[in-house]
Amino acid sequence: MPSLGANTVAILIALGSFPVSLGLTRFLMYWNSKHGITGIDVHKLNRPKVPEMVGAAVPITLILFAAIYALTGGASSIALLAYSLVVGLAALVGAVDDRLKMRGIFKPLLTLLCGLPLLVLGLAFPGEIYASTLHVPLFGSYHLPVIYPLTILVAVSVTSNTVNMLDPLNGSMAGSISIVAGGLLIGSLLIGTGSMPIFLYASLMFSLLGFLYYNRFPARAFAGNVGQLSIGASVGALAILGKTEIASIVAIFPNIQNSFFFLSRIRRFTEHRELTARPTKLLPDGRLADSEDPRAPLTLVRTLLIGRPATENEIVSTLWMLFLTSASLAVITLLLTGVML
Amino acid sequence: MNRHAVGNELVVFVTQWGLMLVGFGILTKFVAPLNLLNPSLSLGLYFDAAVKALIALVLSVTWLFVWDRQVRLYFHRRGK
Repeated sequence: MPSLGANTVAILIALGSFPVSLGLTRFLMYWNSKHGITGIDVHKLNRPKVPEMVGAAVPITLILFAAIYALTGGASSIALLAYSLVVGLAALVGAVDDRLKMRGIFKPLLTLLCGLPLLVLGLAFPGEIYASTLHVPLFGSYHLPVIYPLTILVAVSVTSNTVNMLDPLNGSMAGSISIVAGGLLIGSLLIGTGSMPIFLYASLMFSLLGFLYYNRFPARAFAGNVGQLSIGASVGALAILGKTEIASIVAIFPNIQNSFFFLSRIRRFTEHRELTARPTKLLPDGRLADSEDPRAPLTLVRTLLIGRPATENEIVSTLWMLFLTSASLAVITLLLTGVML
Repeated sequence: MNRHAVGNELVVFVTQWGLMLVGFGILTKFVAPLNLLNPSLSLGLYFDAAVKALIALVLSVTWLFVWDRQVRLYFHRRGK
């Protein structure tokens, strides 16, 4: 670790995002509840009303702390500006979707545009955002001057939407992505990348943990699209800024599987609320079970319920276990990046 | 916790991880060094990039196909 001092300062500043996210979440729970911004927790027998769009606390915290870190001179202001714009734009798309309930196709299309700040600022300030060189574990690296910039837009859209699609249960997204961020933070520390990705991964992890406090079972706050899309966009932007592209794909393996099986069965971009065939059903004893509907998608949660119903808490713990595995594989991937066959 | 399902998912993830590394290895060692078109030609650089992107896309689709078959083998028949 070449600059332990800078990394330690980065993590200490990022630690502040935990109480800020916690406080903002509490405030948004109160405010959204008061203004009727609520959703129904369909996986509970009593179907309680829960404040929606509270996940906005996370992008607000991320942008606030990126600004603080830029002011302390910890990293390039251009890179932090690009990151903040990506997170902010994705939050905006999510907020519009939360309020207007857009058709399923609009989210992937609009989130394609969310990666534009990385591309435009990257072209305007060469070397500040991305390097067009993909470092491959065990096999070296190769230069992609044409393809790499174009994949930035796709990367942000894919990560934001795949994270958006795997938040069906209390705490599932917040806990899972905090594990992903934690794994990539550890990997980045081990391979000695710059302090900026370390700060941003730590900031993402701590702000998610702040939100998770109220989002865990039984949830008192829902993230909404505003939280899910911005958190996913943050993972995508960090893969580019932190040069952890391949490791990030590995870390979100459970999300990729879930989205792939959803899309391969439904064959179009649609919202969960528009599905006629549900992958799971609520039993009279409060447990969740496989719906056994052949028309329903084989989602990740459904695979865990085949032949054995479980409580919501058990399923979420299992999901976190799967993310722990994929995050561990991501750490190994990062360690192998410097190894040549 | 459904240990059997978790075990199967872990096997899926480790298999797909290994296949992904092999795929990136093929791209790095064999596809990227290819000189399909002279870069000095008009749009040569872009055609070269497009063909290599197409090869990467075919590899990605193959990877997802194997993933699909593996999950269906472990989970889908059991659910019927």
